[in-house]
Amino acid sequence: MKSSISPGLLFILPAIVVLLLLIAYPVIYTVYLSLIDAHGAWTGKNYANVLKPYVTRQAFGNLIYYVGGSIVFQVILGTLAAILLNLDFWGRSAVRSITLIPWVVPGIVAATTWAWMFHTEFGIINYMLAGTHIIPGPIGWLTGTNTVMPVLIAINVWKLFPFVAIMVLAGLQAIPSELYEAAKMDGASFWEEVWYITLPQVRPVLVAVTLLLVIWGLNAITLIYAITQGGPANLSLITPIQIYQLAFTSFQFNEAAALSVLFFVVAAVIVAVYIKVIPSNIEAAK
Amino acid sequence: MSAATSTQRRSPAAMVSIAVAAIVLIIVCLFPFAWMALSSIKTLPELFTVPPHWLPSQPTLANYATVLFNSNIPRYFLNSCIIAGGATIVALVLAVFASYGFARFEFRGKPLLQTFVLVGQLLPTAAIIVPLFITLRWLHLINTYWGLILVYTIITLPLSVWMLTSYMRGIPVELEEAATIDGASRLGVLLRITLPLAMPGVVAVVVYSFVTCWNEFVFALVFAQDQSVKTLPIGLAEFSTEFNTDWGGVMAASMVMTVPVALLFLAFQRLFVGGLTAGATKG
Repeated sequence: MKSSISPGLLFILPAIVVLLLLIAYPVIYTVYLSLIDAHGAWTGKNYANVLKPYVTRQAFGNLIYYVGGSIVFQVILGTLAAILLNLDFWGRSAVRSITLIPWVVPGIVAATTWAWMFHTEFGIINYMLAGTHIIPGPIGWLTGTNTVMPVLIAINVWKLFPFVAIMVLAGLQAIPSELYEAAKMDGASFWEEVWYITLPQVRPVLVAVTLLLVIWGLNAITLIYAITQGGPANLSLITPIQIYQLAFTSFQFNEAAALSVLFFVVAAVIVAVYIKVIPSNIEAAK
Repeated sequence: MSAATSTQRRSPAAMVSIAVAAIVLIIVCLFPFAWMALSSIKTLPELFTVPPHWLPSQPTLANYATVLFNSNIPRYFLNSCIIAGGATIVALVLAVFASYGFARFEFRGKPLLQTFVLVGQLLPTAAIIVPLFITLRWLHLINTYWGLILVYTIITLPLSVWMLTSYMRGIPVELEEAATIDGASRLGVLLRITLPLAMPGVVAVVVYSFVTCWNEFVFALVFAQDQSVKTLPIGLAEFSTEFNTDWGGVMAASMVMTVPVALLFLAFQRLFVGGLTAGATKG
């Protein structure tokens, strides 16, 4: 009656085989590549060569700055937008759809459009800011040493806060209305309701969303590559772009593999620490 | 929609602040898109006017003509359709079977395999570009449709399995049991009973996969370097990295690339957002 292989296993087998071939195998192969030289002999030099130059640390620092800075504002703005979209007002469903636009627009399109808007001479942003005397004159946003990263972070926040908003909105809609009614009885103000009821209730959603944002952030290439290619002078270079350039501009496959392994380990540690620390925080808060 | 909506009368101050917040939100989300649309119908001299004009004084379709008749964009559009469509179909077929297996069976190693599928979603793609490139080169799949379709499966399959599994769990088992008693095979039950009932989940997965592949940039940059297979994102990046960027053309091409996905997404918005958030809130 019972065969040796469960029918359930047979159903999932094709997907698992494909994922093993396309994910597990490349990961193992990367480790192997990082440990050999161009002639196939074992060596540890790739790691040394990758770790030595300042640019590696700089790229990693930029990545942390980019991901961290983006997430803070994505979560704050996304949550505020979700709270607004959960209120009852005329035209709400239209505003909900419009809020999704930045997220739906392809990353490369967001990149080119914002690059055009931030254009030093002909960009609409310099025109608006200089015209209202907020800034004295046109600023080279994407070429300035102090402005390039904040601008890239702002574009990234614009692109992904709608995702936070729809996820938090779903969490808000799952909150039992009795909680709010009880708070109303006690005479709580709107912002007291937000602080004491809404935020604690959507905390699990926020944790899951932040984790996704961390992972996507570590993966992000499109915006920065399309807008600055890591420039000016590596000021916006991030590790994924460095890996790409090592492999496909300098053709140092083995060094690129070594950097990939390091990046992979660091990313895994960040995600693991996050998963471990955050839920216990929630328990403690209760 | 059981929102915590207070239908009591609001104070005028509250109504004004809601209106202001909603308008700010609309402007922030819509303005870049609107500016792209406006820029795409301006003439080149007008684009390079200081100070910039808000509205085009002589609206023109010349930029669209350039994009449609004097560039590779139509070819890239076709490539994007083939690759995104192909990757969607491959991921969907694999995900339907896998989700059914996860949703309806208990077997040894199931938690481990489910974790493996999820971890696939967490993997930094940049970390596996190099070995994937070497593997595809060895298989002679660089610069082919099949090469990109295969690598896109990595991106779309894990979340497709996740979304479909949670959807199939929500379908009552009793329907399938009745069919089994009537002598239907497991495969027959899946294809004739479970799959039709899971249609909303399937549509959500299809829209998600297609849009993700349509927008994908890094893999396309590495694995499709020949004009015959380049996709739209790469074509767009090419347009704007030359020294004299034709901003009118770039904006027109951006519109051509955005409108299909935006329509697709808005048409299925409710279904898609529902599927995504169900996975997140119900776990």
